[in-house]
Amino acid sequence: MATLSTELNYLQAKKGLFSWIFSVDHKRIALLYLYSLITFFLVGVTLGILMRLELLNPGKDLVEAKTYNQIFTLHGVIMIFLFIIPSIPAVFGNFFLPIMLGTDDVSFPRLNLLSWWIYIIGAIMALSTLIFGDGPADTGWTFYAPYSVKTGTNVTMSVLAAFVLGFSSILTGLNFIVTIHRLRTPGMTFLKMPLFAWALYATSWIQLLATPIIGITLMMIVAERFFGVGLFDPSIGGDPILYQHLFWIYSHPAVYIMALPAFGIISELLPTFARRTIFGYKAIAFSSLAIAFVGYFIWGHHMFTSGMSGTGRFIFSILTFLVAIPTAIKVFNWVATLYKGSIHVHTPLLYALAFIFQFMIGGFTGLLLGALATDIHLHDTYFVVGHFHYVMFGGTGFAFFGALHYWFPKIWGKMYNAKVANTAFTLLFIGFNTLYFPMLIAGLMGMPRRYYDYLPEFHLPNMISTFGSWILAVGLILMLGNLIYAYFKSKDKPGRNPWGGITLEWQTQSPPPVQNFDRMPELPKNGPYDFEHKPTIKE
Amino acid sequence: MEHASGFVLPNSGHNRDAEASKMGMWLFLFTELLLFGGLFIVYMVYRMINHEAFLLSSFELDVTMGTINTVVLLVSSMTIAMSITAIQKGNIKLSVNLLYATLAAAIIFMVIKYFEWSSKIHHGLFPGMDYYESLPKGEGLFFYLYFFMTGLHALHIIIGAVIIGVVIYRTKKGLVTSEKYTLTENAGLYWHLVDLIWIYLFPLFYLIH
Amino acid sequence: MENKNLHKTENHKEHHISSYKDHFSTLLALLLLTVVTVVVSVFGADLRSLSVATALLIATVKVVVVAYYFMHLKYDMKLYTWLVVLVAVLFVAFTALTSIEYFNR
Repeated sequence: MATLSTELNYLQAKKGLFSWIFSVDHKRIALLYLYSLITFFLVGVTLGILMRLELLNPGKDLVEAKTYNQIFTLHGVIMIFLFIIPSIPAVFGNFFLPIMLGTDDVSFPRLNLLSWWIYIIGAIMALSTLIFGDGPADTGWTFYAPYSVKTGTNVTMSVLAAFVLGFSSILTGLNFIVTIHRLRTPGMTFLKMPLFAWALYATSWIQLLATPIIGITLMMIVAERFFGVGLFDPSIGGDPILYQHLFWIYSHPAVYIMALPAFGIISELLPTFARRTIFGYKAIAFSSLAIAFVGYFIWGHHMFTSGMSGTGRFIFSILTFLVAIPTAIKVFNWVATLYKGSIHVHTPLLYALAFIFQFMIGGFTGLLLGALATDIHLHDTYFVVGHFHYVMFGGTGFAFFGALHYWFPKIWGKMYNAKVANTAFTLLFIGFNTLYFPMLIAGLMGMPRRYYDYLPEFHLPNMISTFGSWILAVGLILMLGNLIYAYFKSKDKPGRNPWGGITLEWQTQSPPPVQNFDRMPELPKNGPYDFEHKPTIKE
Repeated sequence: MEHASGFVLPNSGHNRDAEASKMGMWLFLFTELLLFGGLFIVYMVYRMINHEAFLLSSFELDVTMGTINTVVLLVSSMTIAMSITAIQKGNIKLSVNLLYATLAAAIIFMVIKYFEWSSKIHHGLFPGMDYYESLPKGEGLFFYLYFFMTGLHALHIIIGAVIIGVVIYRTKKGLVTSEKYTLTENAGLYWHLVDLIWIYLFPLFYLIH
Repeated sequence: MENKNLHKTENHKEHHISSYKDHFSTLLALLLLTVVTVVVSVFGADLRSLSVATALLIATVKVVVVAYYFMHLKYDMKLYTWLVVLVAVLFVAFTALTSIEYFNR
């Protein structure tokens, strides 16, 4: 290993397909994840656009009711298990966590590769339902019993896929926790870690401690489909709501697996582009842990109308409101970071600002759903669909794109066309809000989710929404096209530090050498965002 | 790892780090605990709903066999813990022999489990069998959970036995030494976990009448 | 490297080696607890609800003994103990929230 020259960066060091798919270099594994994630994301987007097309007009246009059910299930399974849960940790966490900590790899490099392989196996299993068996599951991504036990579609394979993907997620989380504990560079205490690392730390704990519960729950569904005893069947003494409990014990914390890394990204982008230290470093760091912890105890708010006890609903509702506090602390700190900053407007910052705007809409609509009285009206309407797309896509999705634009020059050592990137951002922002805001309105009017048809009175919001999906699609194509073009054709070499950031990844070459650093990284004096004592970075 | 430009990163992911391996093992054990945790929640809720039926069914299980298995697992936990002591003191032969003893305990456990299960299946108590189907509300759930949970536990015993086999093989090849015994330690941690889960399974199924 | 001792909390001290005798005493304690729990269960069957609590309590004591001595929590970094406590708290909270919900149906 010692013979590797630092002259070659990680992209050039070895050639050939096998040097990629069996690489134990965290940077290459991150790119493996990136390429596979984007592929599945595009499949998911296509399914989403299909759904919007079906809903353009009332009545049956494109697909049968059952096909529509299968489409939204597959859309959910792909977007949640294949895209958004692994997204930021597996791509940017893998690539930048070791660099930000000032080390050369994660603690278990081979385990890291194994997680990617398990992820690919899970993905193939999930997509194989399209071809084999009796078609993809039509249960919704929640696989609620008893329908998931009784339906003739290929639920078993979808469920097994989710189980396998859970393993991949657990291994990534395990690797990151050990890396953060063991591999921080000397001098970097926990409270001098970048906030992205803090966010990943909190996320990893959720991945590690919540995922096993869904693993075993899904195994029970599989066993049910084989033995057919009716584990969740009241006629033999079971309880279907218990399935929902177990499912959400994982799946609510999973919402924070999706959201917390995005918070970490925003906490990196804002100080860099405001050229000042983050406001309330400790508050942001600890609120991540607080969200992770409280997030475990609020799963019941997905089941307010399922027939839970009144006491249960009351407790879960109160706890749900509690989790809004650390989230609000973060938003406050982000906005305060911008105050009196020297703001440099570049594409990544635009994504960060859009994140704050959209995430707040997502958060506030979430409070309406967490309140017992309003939830009775809003449960299972398009309001819920609008709400979680605002959080997941408007939040995490935009943070993912922001991170992609922020670290693109570091990852590939090339710069994209900023004007095109800004145009694409504008289209995405307009398209996103045109697509999802009408859903909130339709939901308030009472339009139920998961139907391929609707009453004529919901026509207008649905039409606007479908129109928005086209703008969004154009924006996505433009954004990806711009980045792909830059990857192949760009002559613009950004150097080590195009944005003026001061976390450790900006001190090394772009793209980084195989061992991440070509000289000893230097820590700022007072924490990772100390712009007053920033290390001088020479080319 | 050394760099061409002549400096060394102090903390490298490619260095051997026994503490990191142990930490990784502990984190993995947490996921195992919560995997069974999910099942314990199911057990708890169904026991709450079907209180009488669970009491009645638990009399069907053989306390003697359960107790013997508990003792077997506890002894095996001690032997593998002693095996770590032995390797730390550099006594490779003793360490290997204690690992063999642990392996033997695993096999005894599985044999007893086999007899237990076959007598239940003989009575038609396995899900899907005629007698099982005729059981009153709640009792079927007890046996369903009994087979699911002890079955999953038995699977862990088998995995643990395989891991111990690997440790024996590598110790004999000289790859585990008094300086480098993380493998034995981690196998020990895993084996203790299997024991821990049984410590709860045993009273919940066999003893709580 | 003057910064080295910043990492002191994360780096373990000399490894503690437990003696064979300690392991054996631990086993004896565990066997004793097993006898107690079987006896309470088999001969105290009329004290139903009590025996559930007792059995779980004894099981928990056994688990703590195994974790503390056999699994070396006593001699490892305190971090591991805290993490085990965290996982236990989490699981107890899951069961508590679920059972509160079911008790009030």
